[in-house]
Amino acid sequence: MIQPQSYLSVADNSGAKKLMCIRVLGVNEKQSGSIGDVIIAVVKEALPNMALKRSDIVRAVIVRTCRGIRRPNGMSIRFDDNAAVIINKEGNPRGSRVFGPVARELRDRNFTKIISLAPEVV
Amino acid sequence: MRLENCWFCSSTVYPGHGITFVRNDCTVFRFCRSKCHKNFKMKRNPRKVRWTKAYRKLAGKELAEDATFEMERRRNRPEKYDRELVHKTVKAMEKITEVRKARQDRFWEARMRKARQQQRTADVVSLEKEIHLVRAPGAMTAEAAADKAAAATKRKEKKRENLRVAAEPVAAQAMQE
Repeated sequence: MIQPQSYLSVADNSGAKKLMCIRVLGVNEKQSGSIGDVIIAVVKEALPNMALKRSDIVRAVIVRTCRGIRRPNGMSIRFDDNAAVIINKEGNPRGSRVFGPVARELRDRNFTKIISLAPEVV
Repeated sequence: MRLENCWFCSSTVYPGHGITFVRNDCTVFRFCRSKCHKNFKMKRNPRKVRWTKAYRKLAGKELAEDATFEMERRRNRPEKYDRELVHKTVKAMEKITEVRKARQDRFWEARMRKARQQQRTADVVSLEKEIHLVRAPGAMTAEAAADKAAAATKRKEKKRENLRVAAEPVAAQAMQE
């Protein structure tokens, strides 16, 4: 359940560490974002001397949520934290690595690059 | 669809039931119901919670080591498809379940037999120790009858006393007149 003002950790090596969501794309004002949704976010914390700095505005895709998702086959899956991977306009990740497990739903949303970089797809 | 086992209580997780939790180190935990998930969140150890399979096996309450359990193990070696083999496996699954059930029943029976014996010896010991509390049933009935009679006489006396107290003012008035 990601909505504006939600904080997310960053699951890649783009240099950002914490994001704050400012808009979930493609959903109604009253709905919240889930795994696979693209968000616009502000970088709240970043590593020094990297491409991304604090207060940069970026696009990111949600890869894990605490709330989780329910799959059409009835399976319900949850994660430890809310995490996102920073992407560019084309939907490719800005970093070169992805950390932690990611949900399989990203493949349906055509984030195949993230799926291939992820250590585990569940 | 695969039927997984619950991480906490080891029961089967049927499709559409429970939730799957994925920790950040990619470990997958499957829970059969919210009870098990909550217990996990409370960081309880399934070996110390009395209703789980893990506890019961550890405490010797259920069959723990058996060849039939080994057959259910997950194998990472892929098997080439063979219709005959599938047929045989499906048949064997039923048979294994049957054998396991019979063995578990036998285990339970043996455990209960021992428990019954223990109970009996404990009863004998307590009887020997506390024999002074036991009285013959005849003595008890005689005592009870005596008690009853005593109570009856007491009641009768009280009634008479009450009558006397009630009659006193009336008698005094009669005397005056």
